Amino acid sequence: MAKSVVSYGSYIPFLRIRREEYISALGSCGADIKEKAVMDIDEDTVTMAVEAASDALAGVDPARVGVLALASANFPYGEKFIAGTLVEALGLSGSVLTSHHGGSALAGSEAFLAALGLLDQTDREYALVIVSDAPQASPSSGLDHGFGAAACAFVLARDGSGLEFEGACSRAGEFMGLRYRTAGETGVRDIGVGAYSSMAYNETVSASLSGILEKMGRIPGHYRCLVMPQADVRADTALAKKMGFGEDQTRDGLVYNLVGDAGCCTPFLGLCRALESAGTGEKILVCTYGAGSGSHSMSFCLNGPLPASPRPVGSLLEKKRQIGYIHYLKLKRII
Amino acid sequence: MGAHISIPMYRRTVPQRYRLAGQRCTACGRVNFPPKAVCRYCRTGTGFDSVRLSGRGTVYSYTVIAGGGAPPEFSEEARCKGSYPVVLVELEEGPRIIAQLVDPPEEGITVGMKVEAVFRRIYEEEGVIRYGFKFRPV
Amino acid sequence: MQGVAIIGAGQTRYGDFPDLGVKELFAQAYFEMLRSVDRGLDPGMIQAAYIGCLSAGGGFQLGQLAPLLMGHVGLPGVNAVRVENACASGGYALFNAACAVASGKFDLVLAAGVEKMRDVSSSKGRYWLGVSGDTEYERLAGSTFAGIYALMAARYMHQYGLKREHLSMVAVKNHRHAVNNPKAQFRREITIDQALKGAPVAYPFNVWDCSPTSDGAAAVLLCSAKMAANFTDRPVYLRGFGAASDYLAIHDRDSITGLAATRKAAAEAYRQAGVSPREIDFAEVHDCFTIAEILAYADLGFCEEGRAHHLLEEGVTQLGGRLPVNVSGGLKAKGHPIGATGCGMACEIFRQLRGEASEPSRQVKNARLALSHNVGGSGGTAAVFIYQGGGQ
Repeated sequence: MAKSVVSYGSYIPFLRIRREEYISALGSCGADIKEKAVMDIDEDTVTMAVEAASDALAGVDPARVGVLALASANFPYGEKFIAGTLVEALGLSGSVLTSHHGGSALAGSEAFLAALGLLDQTDREYALVIVSDAPQASPSSGLDHGFGAAACAFVLARDGSGLEFEGACSRAGEFMGLRYRTAGETGVRDIGVGAYSSMAYNETVSASLSGILEKMGRIPGHYRCLVMPQADVRADTALAKKMGFGEDQTRDGLVYNLVGDAGCCTPFLGLCRALESAGTGEKILVCTYGAGSGSHSMSFCLNGPLPASPRPVGSLLEKKRQIGYIHYLKLKRII
Repeated sequence: MGAHISIPMYRRTVPQRYRLAGQRCTACGRVNFPPKAVCRYCRTGTGFDSVRLSGRGTVYSYTVIAGGGAPPEFSEEARCKGSYPVVLVELEEGPRIIAQLVDPPEEGITVGMKVEAVFRRIYEEEGVIRYGFKFRPV
Repeated sequence: MQGVAIIGAGQTRYGDFPDLGVKELFAQAYFEMLRSVDRGLDPGMIQAAYIGCLSAGGGFQLGQLAPLLMGHVGLPGVNAVRVENACASGGYALFNAACAVASGKFDLVLAAGVEKMRDVSSSKGRYWLGVSGDTEYERLAGSTFAGIYALMAARYMHQYGLKREHLSMVAVKNHRHAVNNPKAQFRREITIDQALKGAPVAYPFNVWDCSPTSDGAAAVLLCSAKMAANFTDRPVYLRGFGAASDYLAIHDRDSITGLAATRKAAAEAYRQAGVSPREIDFAEVHDCFTIAEILAYADLGFCEEGRAHHLLEEGVTQLGGRLPVNVSGGLKAKGHPIGATGCGMACEIFRQLRGEASEPSRQVKNARLALSHNVGGSGGTAAVFIYQGGGQ
């Protein structure tokens, strides 16, 4: 048997802001969202990580977790060993192998792939991957409009029935000026050159996607579902179509319009959502994109039933309270 | 002016604050939280086994702290939320504990309401985030 | 054990005194106490002093406050100690002084209290109001001192059908009592409508449910009963005094609709005095929040648990009722300079039992036995005293 996801959990903050709030406050909304998730004043990527991981670990003995891989481009500290907080909060063993991933929206897939490798370095059965993100930009810039927040966590087993990892393909290249943040800055910037940005995205993502299809010897039709990066859903849809994927294949993994761009977490939250309707034997592709730029495509096959998450993405999407733009600015510590 | 709880002092209670680590008295079997040197129930037991509480419980009583009166270390939270609820929760395992309630129901808090523990930021001082438990309606 | 009598008592007005510090406040109370000793007193005869204070003037003199204050009034050589049990600091100063006299070790002991709360910013004030609970858990739950009593109130309402209006009835009564008390911080009546509609503080409390922050000092001179006649023909005897503690944190207590510390302290005081709650003619009880007075009624044996609000409805505890409570205005309207409060209660009772209430309109008539009750924080400590006058 191959390495597989044997359980998962996800978390979406309770608070939401609707597109209309932006329009009534600012005259327009620069993102294709219906609404997006907003962390409360006492939440951050670590608290969201604990929420998602607690659900993923619901049926797992924490002492049997040998690897902890964490991903966020927005850890609450610029420098501090973060895994310790998770080890104490989740009751994991102090001898767990840890690995932190950040720096771009590619951090999630980097953590996932690293955990698969680190599993070979531990005698314990499980690796825990936690992907939690909440991108930040100054609310005065349009970049903020689409930025949401979410977390998800996956328990990987060396041998186990569930979502089997089949393989991954990567693309890395240099495209500076897109979604970047200098050391010490709290929000991201972007030079805002549309054609350049599209070129970077299309070149990078299509390379990793075609790479995985070639590596697996498959065509788009072999996959039940393709989960795209969802930083720019319009670009995702166009590219998926160009690559030969139909709308019915990308629909199940879409979360952006209700959660917003949750950074490195969005495609994984999309995966969690897709898993809620996937059947045994079906294959899923997950594609991530980090501006700058890099992309990972990962191929999975559902080879056995997964335990239902205590809080399915569907229910988290419904459990919410809407806030106004003033409240939003308070949460962003602007006022 | 903060609560004068030093970082080493906070760190010593991390098992309680992060994952509700309680103690089961080896003499009477009842669960103490927060920990005691002598069991709060039988008042004789001094031996304990560590036990992780479920975090599930019911509201025994509640209040809503108005923003202006919040302790200084909670003033940012109070400014943002306007006011925030604090609940005394009776945990499944027996002990009661006090904490904030997040995501309060719009129809109001009631005695007996079911809640579960959540991991949140409590406050920040010296640039150090103090994490701990709060409760949330189930 | 020798008998204990009060032969003098004095206090400042409670309130806002930007031009007076702890030393000046203490001196005012001390000199008023000296003047109240009928046959006068050579201050050099005072053998010991117990001085209640929490914050030591906003923290400037946390160490050795008592010798500082005694030196200020010309008594540098007197054995002096600061006593701290939060809002019961004054009560514990009195309790320790009473024990010191009762033991026979001393014959003349000063019990005093002082607090300077109005010098600090509102942020520092909120800091000081949050240092006397279980800081590690209650405070880090974001709760305030009011919040802890609010939890008791909400539970009491749930358990016994107490209404919001009952809380306000305490505030209205105590404000009315304070109108004619020249020592009181707030000397104006409030209506029940006002009391119901104050700005929220901690559900179910609004601002009218809370005692104020105050500056003030109080001083009481205790004397062995056998020597009291040297100084006055009208001593007030301390017939019983009890003090007890409880778990500091509200979450560790079995019941939160009463204070176990008060019950235990009261039982001890009643036993020592050999009197029953029914014999008490009036009482000064600890009403830092309106619910605190309601809890005290049952804890002190004035009614059954859960029936306190009926006493309010029936007017039993207002001036003119069967058992007037807080005729001074209580902490609510007379004011609550933390360390002074317990001794200030003794001052009020000393005057009342001697028929010397400053205004005839607020004199409790024909009273012989009185009780005072002082609570630390949310009930981690409590002290109860039973006084007997020689008739008016």
